[in-house]
Amino acid sequence: MGKVILKLDNVSYRYDDAEADDYVLKDINYSFETGKVYAIKGKSGSGKTTLLSLLSGLESNYEGSIEFDGKELKNIDLDNYRSRDIGIVFQSYNLLPHLTAIENIILSMNVSNLNIANKEEQAISLMEKVGLTKNQKDRRVLKLSGGEQQRVAIARSLSYNPLMILADEPTGNLDKETENEILKIFKNLAKEDKCIIIVTHSENVCDQADIVYELVKNKKKRS
Amino acid sequence: MYILKNAITSITRNKGRNILIGIIIMIISASVAVTLAINNTASSLIKSYKEKYQVEATISINRENMMKDFNPEDKENSKSNMKEMFSLANNISVSDIEKYADSKYVKSYYYTQTVRVNANIEKAEMTSNNDMLDKRKDDNDDNKEGETTTDFNLKGYSSYDAMSEFVSGNYKITDGEVFEDFDSNKCLINIELATLNNLKIGDTITVIDTASNTYDLVISGIYEEKEDTDSGMKMFANSANTIITSTNFITKMSETNQDLAITTNPTFILTSSSVVDKFSSELTSKGLNENLTVQTNLDQVENATSTISNVKTFAVTFLIITLIIGAVVLLIINMINIRERKYEIGVLRTIGMKKSKVCLQFVLELLIVAFASLLLGAFTGAMISVPVSNSLLKNEITDSQESNNNIQENFGHGSSNKQNDRKFNGVANVEAFDSINATVDMKVLLELLGIGLSLTLISSLSAILSIEKFSPLTILKERS
Repeated sequence: MGKVILKLDNVSYRYDDAEADDYVLKDINYSFETGKVYAIKGKSGSGKTTLLSLLSGLESNYEGSIEFDGKELKNIDLDNYRSRDIGIVFQSYNLLPHLTAIENIILSMNVSNLNIANKEEQAISLMEKVGLTKNQKDRRVLKLSGGEQQRVAIARSLSYNPLMILADEPTGNLDKETENEILKIFKNLAKEDKCIIIVTHSENVCDQADIVYELVKNKKKRS
Repeated sequence: MYILKNAITSITRNKGRNILIGIIIMIISASVAVTLAINNTASSLIKSYKEKYQVEATISINRENMMKDFNPEDKENSKSNMKEMFSLANNISVSDIEKYADSKYVKSYYYTQTVRVNANIEKAEMTSNNDMLDKRKDDNDDNKEGETTTDFNLKGYSSYDAMSEFVSGNYKITDGEVFEDFDSNKCLINIELATLNNLKIGDTITVIDTASNTYDLVISGIYEEKEDTDSGMKMFANSANTIITSTNFITKMSETNQDLAITTNPTFILTSSSVVDKFSSELTSKGLNENLTVQTNLDQVENATSTISNVKTFAVTFLIITLIIGAVVLLIINMINIRERKYEIGVLRTIGMKKSKVCLQFVLELLIVAFASLLLGAFTGAMISVPVSNSLLKNEITDSQESNNNIQENFGHGSSNKQNDRKFNGVANVEAFDSINATVDMKVLLELLGIGLSLTLISSLSAILSIEKFSPLTILKERS
């Protein structure tokens, strides 16, 4: 049994310009433990990405409570939270195109402001861990394939050794084979006692996740 | 530290964008550098002019004051009173001048003395087809009825500075030179007088005062008076019967004949234009006759610098316009830059970089590009400011150089080494400025860097405000 790292208590959210009762998310009560892979699925418009935005601290105008490691997200420095405690992986990778693969990873280490020794060596080690070769380290990210870019994005999210990885459709742009390779990486990370939360449409991802949450507009389901 | 490294990496990896920004900043900075160079050169020219045309104060008749006592119904009596007042007013002694000159507002002073004499030579007759001149001559003869007729003006100068006619170029030595010993009995005569009497350098002439005392003067130089081109009249020069000597010689004459009617005209070189009124008040408190007033050459100084002042005004106006355009262009560049790099801002914010650090990186990038471009702009400006400044100020520079050379020539030494021995204290001691000053010097460079970096920082405000306003989630959603 892992430690509950993230706990949502009656979380509701509606857009600023929405009507009073038009909630995207309504009374969500989830908890996430370390050492497990979670999949959050749902149809388009069910609020999957919005939920991930709330969990990653990119959106904080919610009702209810989200606690990370026992602390309310609204009360902590969200920049520090994103740069040290969680790693975020996006469907469109969101890497800096003018930097090389290794520079993207080292930049993330620098932003965390943590005392990380031998950053370059660490970055190379992470790249190898996610299935990239040394030869790819000095390549501009735009010269890498989609799968390779996503691996760089995962390596970047791991660069400061966060407790939790939040991934928004991380395999959405990838083929089945690459998807399985990426999922393998996530599962290995879970074995290292990290909490992996994946927002996805993919049944394959859901099948391989330890716990799946399904979002229906204004409703929730656990399987 | 990583922010600086990031900034440098971003600059080098986005060459196209940064070269474009750099070229724009370089053009602006080159324009500003040229304008600053012109402005500074014009300022130094004006300063040089103002030193050259030092503030001179002279004492002259206060005609307005005198006219108050003029009674048109009693013309004869009023005329007599005015004549008496003129005589009193003109009667300034050397001790008065020394008393007036003993002031904190006076840098130096000099004076001229004039006395009417006869001489053992034939005077140059005035020949003119102008009735007014003939009439004046007749009036003059009438006035001297019953007195010993005097044909010559003996004019004494206290120093080289007092010889304003030579400094201005109105008189110019054609043979010999201006005497250097102001205690000697040397003199200068007009070329027409010399020709008429077949006089040459080294000849002695004898002047006779109203009491028939005689004094010998040795001719050291022959001068000509500049033709009055404005009037278009051809006549004997006004100075034809003027014999020039030193005030010391006239003082010796006055010791022999204490009744000698000497007219003394002092000139005081003031410390600055701002002390004119104070000096005037001081003279009044020291007993200056109420019918005398202090006059200055301030208008002349202003006129002399008006052309350069116009160039300076043009430069300042151009500078302001350039800075406004530069600021607007930089602002637009920044806004475009930020829009273009919105995605980058979104990513940096998503991985947890604080807004302040994102702003710092963007401002640093712009400052590095601006600094390099400003230096290149200053270098380009330095290259083109010399020909541009010199072209704009060509006439003033040439005039200054010619004027300086001419002064020496007017005294009869041309460009010989003797000019260095001359003891000028006032108007003629200012060296000519040259074209070399019209460059981008350290002062201009510092001004340029100060202005350029300030503009860059101000225009960066738009970037900072945008970064503050951007939501990373919105940016990334837009991107998706």
